[in-house]
Amino acid sequence: MFRLNLKIAWRNLWKNKIYAAINIGGLALGLTAFLLMLLYINHEESYDTWSSDLQNVYQIREKHEFFTPDNKDHWQEISNSRVAGIIKQNVPQFTAVTKVDSEWGNGFSVKIDHADPILIKAIKDADTAFFNVFPYKFIQGDRERALKEPNTVVLKQSLAIKLYGTDHVLGKEFKLVRWRDDKGTPMKITGVVADVNTPESVTFNAISHTGDQDHDPDQPGSSHYNQVYAKSASKVDTLAANNSLQKVYIDYKKKSFAEQNINFKDIYKDGKRPGLKAIALKDVHANPPFAINWLTKLKPVIGISIFLLLVSIINFVNLATAQSVQRAKEVGVRKVLGSYKKQLVSQFLIESALQSIISLFLSIILIEVLLPAFNHHFNVELSFWYNDHLLMLMIQLVALFAFVTLLAGFYPAWVLSNYNPVAVLKGNYGNSLKGMALRNVLVVFQFIISVTFIIAIGVMQLQTKYISNKDLGFERDRLINLQTGYEQNFADKIRRIPGVQYVSTTTQVMGNAFNNKSEIIYKGQTFNLNGVSVSMDALQTLGVKLVSGRLFAKEYKQDTINAVILNEAAANLLGKNMVGKTYNKVNYDNKIISFQIVGVIKDYHNEGFDKTVLPTVYKVTKLGGTSNTNNLLVRFETKNYKGIINNIQNEWRKLYPDFPLHYQSMDEAFSNVLEENNRFMNMIILFSAVSVSLSLLGLFALSTFIAKRRTKEIAVRKILGASNVQIVNLLNKSFLILVIIANLISWPIAYILIKRWLQGFAYRIEMPIFPFLLATAVSIIIAVLTVTIQARKAAIGDPVNALKYE
Amino acid sequence: MIQLTNIEKYYANKGIKNYVLRLVTTTIKQGEFVSIMGPSGAGKSTLLNIIGMLEEPTYGTYEFLGENVTSLNERKRIELYRNHIGFVFQAYHLIDEMTVYENIEAPLLYKKVGSSERASRIADLLDRFNIVAKKDLFPNQLSGGQQQLVGIARALAAQPSIILADEPTGNLQSAQAEEIMELFKKLNQEDGITIIQVTHSEKNAQYGNRILHIADGVVKEDLAVLS
Repeated sequence: MFRLNLKIAWRNLWKNKIYAAINIGGLALGLTAFLLMLLYINHEESYDTWSSDLQNVYQIREKHEFFTPDNKDHWQEISNSRVAGIIKQNVPQFTAVTKVDSEWGNGFSVKIDHADPILIKAIKDADTAFFNVFPYKFIQGDRERALKEPNTVVLKQSLAIKLYGTDHVLGKEFKLVRWRDDKGTPMKITGVVADVNTPESVTFNAISHTGDQDHDPDQPGSSHYNQVYAKSASKVDTLAANNSLQKVYIDYKKKSFAEQNINFKDIYKDGKRPGLKAIALKDVHANPPFAINWLTKLKPVIGISIFLLLVSIINFVNLATAQSVQRAKEVGVRKVLGSYKKQLVSQFLIESALQSIISLFLSIILIEVLLPAFNHHFNVELSFWYNDHLLMLMIQLVALFAFVTLLAGFYPAWVLSNYNPVAVLKGNYGNSLKGMALRNVLVVFQFIISVTFIIAIGVMQLQTKYISNKDLGFERDRLINLQTGYEQNFADKIRRIPGVQYVSTTTQVMGNAFNNKSEIIYKGQTFNLNGVSVSMDALQTLGVKLVSGRLFAKEYKQDTINAVILNEAAANLLGKNMVGKTYNKVNYDNKIISFQIVGVIKDYHNEGFDKTVLPTVYKVTKLGGTSNTNNLLVRFETKNYKGIINNIQNEWRKLYPDFPLHYQSMDEAFSNVLEENNRFMNMIILFSAVSVSLSLLGLFALSTFIAKRRTKEIAVRKILGASNVQIVNLLNKSFLILVIIANLISWPIAYILIKRWLQGFAYRIEMPIFPFLLATAVSIIIAVLTVTIQARKAAIGDPVNALKYE
Repeated sequence: MIQLTNIEKYYANKGIKNYVLRLVTTTIKQGEFVSIMGPSGAGKSTLLNIIGMLEEPTYGTYEFLGENVTSLNERKRIELYRNHIGFVFQAYHLIDEMTVYENIEAPLLYKKVGSSERASRIADLLDRFNIVAKKDLFPNQLSGGQQQLVGIARALAAQPSIILADEPTGNLQSAQAEEIMELFKKLNQEDGITIIQVTHSEKNAQYGNRILHIADGVVKEDLAVLS
């Protein structure tokens, strides 16, 4: 019976090739979108799952305001290095604690013998305990002894092979140069660990042990920040552990403040509390300190892909019930031959199953084809067959298959198996209106989704156009960032290169902004501003626009002492006509220093458009402040600066032979800022295209069916004298109403959703009306075209053929 | 075998009862070949549908093989279809997606007949109706007469005790019609299968041994056919 049913299912598919293709193709599209999503979620979920021992590893997070984008308290991944020692001494649940430096800059230079230096990213410095906490498998060397001595390094296997072509590198040495004028440290390779097969939140190519992480700074007032990880012997109660962490942390803070003569209550007031906690390593990736986590970010996309799958299932249901009339006779006959309803239901479920399995295979093929582009686009490395959780994936696929089959197949099977044999066998089943209402609802539903998508694309395009053309407040062309600190000798040398207009540094520029809180007192009131240190001609280099007053210049002796410039945001915060006014600031040694405002500039952007420009004060420090801003801005006189960069490179090589030059143009930095938004938009466009084509497929098939079902009516009307055009209009009218209803419903939905999206931007357009009108026009035009193609066929048919069977 | 007592069928429409059948009482014995005749709309097909349990009477009792089947649950009705009743239709109603062989096999599959038994029964039927060569063809590749032969073969496959035929030759040319009627007669006389057919043709009715004349839902005449 099963085999026969399968055979019949196959013959039916073959007989209705076009319907079947639409059904299966549509379902495959929906499944593909969903599967891609599933792969992505699996990938994100698999972070830090490469060893079961990682269940007992925790990241320590401290609440503080350093290195934050908004100068406010956050739970951060980088903690005061002293935290590690405190935990080791006072929290016995944790048996091993390690400190790892975060990654700074663009990588370190590795120089092997006399070869050219290579820039290698993610060489992280750790203390001796790193491999006691993280259970990486040693291919070469020994876990306990590897990082014991200073100036040792453990490589990942992939890096060993990249550098030496082999992983037998034990005992070899290379010179590690961490910044351009670092003398370099000879590092001895004491171990090679295996690469792991899932993504890690503590990524590294090599773990070095220079000894820098072994000690905390001597002065109680100065601190060193790095990442702290702890391992417990067995599963710990996080709540209890966090309570004791919090307790020892407050004790430490009190003690430390006492040493520095700071009153604990002065710092922690107005609801501000010190904080220290441990979070399980597997939760680290899902809870980034500043950004929203991937699940929240992905929620709309997950929603969309589920929607798409639903739309394709709806199509399937729609078509299957529409087509069911063809099978009605078979149902009637089978019933009088002695088939139970149950058997009929299962027969039709087998047919759906056959179709969904074909769709599933099709979508797997589609995914294989699409995955490279998807990976490239979304900057991930997903794979289907080489998935480490292939078994899990297969289980998910089987579940998905069962789900789709039941959802898509059950209603049609139920409708079919309910056909009354007498009615069917008498032949008057074709005109029944049963299920029509449901099908109409489904068509409306599909169009709501499509129209909403089209509107969304329209608004997103406008917003994207707006931000990519928005005045950044500085001139981003002819400007590059050498991503190194300011050094007078080198800066002078490149200033002399023809074509170079300005060379300067700042702590804050698009692509590398380092925010620093600056508390000022103006007219007795305290204000929190963002402080930026610049060199004398940094603002000229950026090409910012002056609103009033003047920019810094060498001619003014005052400028290196107490002159500051505000941006408009800060000026508006303080009051009107700020140029010439003075404010006070309490220095680190409790002296009050007075600053004079010499100019106000227009706000300029350092970060994405989702963030407002902070009220900022600019101050020139000696030579441009700290040497390690890692921003060395060079403005050129001409747009063709490729040759000039070569000259800069030559100067660089002479001075810093052991460290490669690395630079970024401001255009690049800007497109990086836009990238995330563009990515999201491309995803929406992709999904909308799928959704719209699914709806059209559905409409196409349904109109074919309706035209067929109304063949007799059309024939009679023609005999009564209706023209072809009148008949086409007749058929169009019924669909047009549906599409218009869908439009009416989707307008408010789109409005709400898009409003919410736009609110994510600090700089945004007003809600435009045009995309709404466009979406409506587009949906009506394509619906009319689709239906007309089908209706025309029905209309030009010979009425005799339609009538003679009655 | 079949005992109908005061069978009535009507449709109520805005308070008015439209009678299709009125107080039909009759008995059909095992081995009879009954033709139901009458003008269009007389209620012939409805009567046959009630006998075939495809429709329920609004009033009256129906006993099949001594059992009251007036309103039967689906499971029991299907058991009767599987074991006792074979249907033959005017429009043949073969399943288009099945071959001749598979069409005949279908009722046997529902009846859960073992595969070797199935094969031999089908072979037997194909042989008997001379359609062995056609067994792998689909219905639309056959002539009307051939399709009806397959329809009858399918009805016989489950070895029913009664065949219900609704104008079995209505769509056929006269030569083919005669062939089908001869077949019915032979099935009735040689195999003892009870046959009830609805027909318009006086000539076809003569193949049976009893004629029920119906007009306006009432049995007007109940005649025996003299052979």
